Amino acid sequence: MNIIEIENLSHYFTDGTCGLENINLTIQEGTFVVIAGQNGSGKTTLLKHLNGLLLPTTGTVRLAGTPVSKNLVKARQMVGMVFQDPDSQIVGETVCEDVAFGPENLCLDRDEVKRRVFRTLKIVGLLDFEDQKPHLLSGGEKRRLAIAGILAMEPKVLVFDEPFSSLDYPGVKQVLKQLISLHRSGHTILVAAHDLEKIIAHADRLVIMKDGKVLKDGIPSQLFRELEAFGIREPCASRLGMEVQSWLN
Amino acid sequence: MAELSAFNFRPGSSVLHGLDVRFKLIFLVLISFTCLKAYSVALSVLTLVLVAVLMHSGLSFKSILKTFRYVFVLLVFIFITRALSTPGSVVAEFKSISITREGIYYGAIICWRLVVVILTGLSFVLTTRPSEIKVAVEWTLNPFPFIPAKRIATMMGLMVRFLPVIIDQVKESADAQRARGVENRKNPVYRLGKLGIPIMRRTFERADKLAVAMEARCYSENRTDPVLSSSIMDWIALCGVVCLCIVII
Repeated sequence: MNIIEIENLSHYFTDGTCGLENINLTIQEGTFVVIAGQNGSGKTTLLKHLNGLLLPTTGTVRLAGTPVSKNLVKARQMVGMVFQDPDSQIVGETVCEDVAFGPENLCLDRDEVKRRVFRTLKIVGLLDFEDQKPHLLSGGEKRRLAIAGILAMEPKVLVFDEPFSSLDYPGVKQVLKQLISLHRSGHTILVAAHDLEKIIAHADRLVIMKDGKVLKDGIPSQLFRELEAFGIREPCASRLGMEVQSWLN
Repeated sequence: MAELSAFNFRPGSSVLHGLDVRFKLIFLVLISFTCLKAYSVALSVLTLVLVAVLMHSGLSFKSILKTFRYVFVLLVFIFITRALSTPGSVVAEFKSISITREGIYYGAIICWRLVVVILTGLSFVLTTRPSEIKVAVEWTLNPFPFIPAKRIATMMGLMVRFLPVIIDQVKESADAQRARGVENRKNPVYRLGKLGIPIMRRTFERADKLAVAMEARCYSENRTDPVLSSSIMDWIALCGVVCLCIVII
């Protein structure tokens, strides 16, 4: 089943700049898709259309058959977005309060909010940090908290914008483990990245963007040799003629 | 990392931790107003009670003293102003400036009152979750028409959350400028401008990102609020505080 259907999507910013041009994409439920491209290629702009943070100038975006613009609250509950900078995403004064923010916005009853907070903190391994202040967490922990905040809304699709930026090696491994485990639990995962090294071994599909257009779309290993032409570095193992390995091995 | 002195919630199981936030807010107001009428004996009693409460809530005496380093300058300023401006029997004189016995006494009393108010605020903040404070503010503002209580409470919560992040930014920018020799520029206005403008810009950019992230998590003013409930303990504490205030007045 196609969970996301994008048809002839174009987006122009208020100053007339073209953000996206005639994008056509369908994403099946449960797939792991990496959207790659240079800075300014339109990755984030595309992701923001999936939960209605931006609306198309022309074209349509449908989630499980329903246009995003029909019900923005439902779209945002269905597509959880983890932003590049977790410090700008975390709103709670404590870890627990931040995770509760989303379910509280959905007007769930107090017991259900508590149940979701407990469950998601357990999933991301932050149960012991319940009363910790978010600004005192490490980079990897902050990113996991941002993921927990989204998971508490029980979305079907998880969208990550540059999830490994400014993370150290342990932080990258923590977040990567989380992504893989979420994919295994049945979530559809979309990751926007300009550096494919850490993530591509786990992706089912690679979409390459440039200047607001989708230029390539296919199985990652078949596109590796073409990456550099679009300003994306070919994974190191592929350059050496070897198979790309997971960072968790 | 910016850690904001002792003015932060500390999880615990003290009596004060267990009290209803609305009652604690009433205690804060009652004690603060009572201080205006209190003199040395009453202030001694209040100080002893509050220091004991704070230590029982998990704050060490050293931390309490450390907290006062932020207001020490203000207290000294008030004391000097009062000592120099109150008429009475002169203790010391220099040209037309004279320090009076009454000035020293009233200066000390005013500073002491301020210390008691700060101690009361400290015990409130230390033992109350920020989310509960938010609800208490909302509860207090609710009877007033035309005041957007929920919005004010949310803004207050975000301010508490982002203050440490902004302090981190200030430190980072100041360090970066020191690394480029800003200390050689002696003009404080120039240095303030060079530090203040980028910080303001970054703060507004962060505020923009925060607004988008909140929208992505379905933020609305109509949301699940924490449940407030009073117990017999709250009423006993209220009786105690009221009696104490009446005795002092």
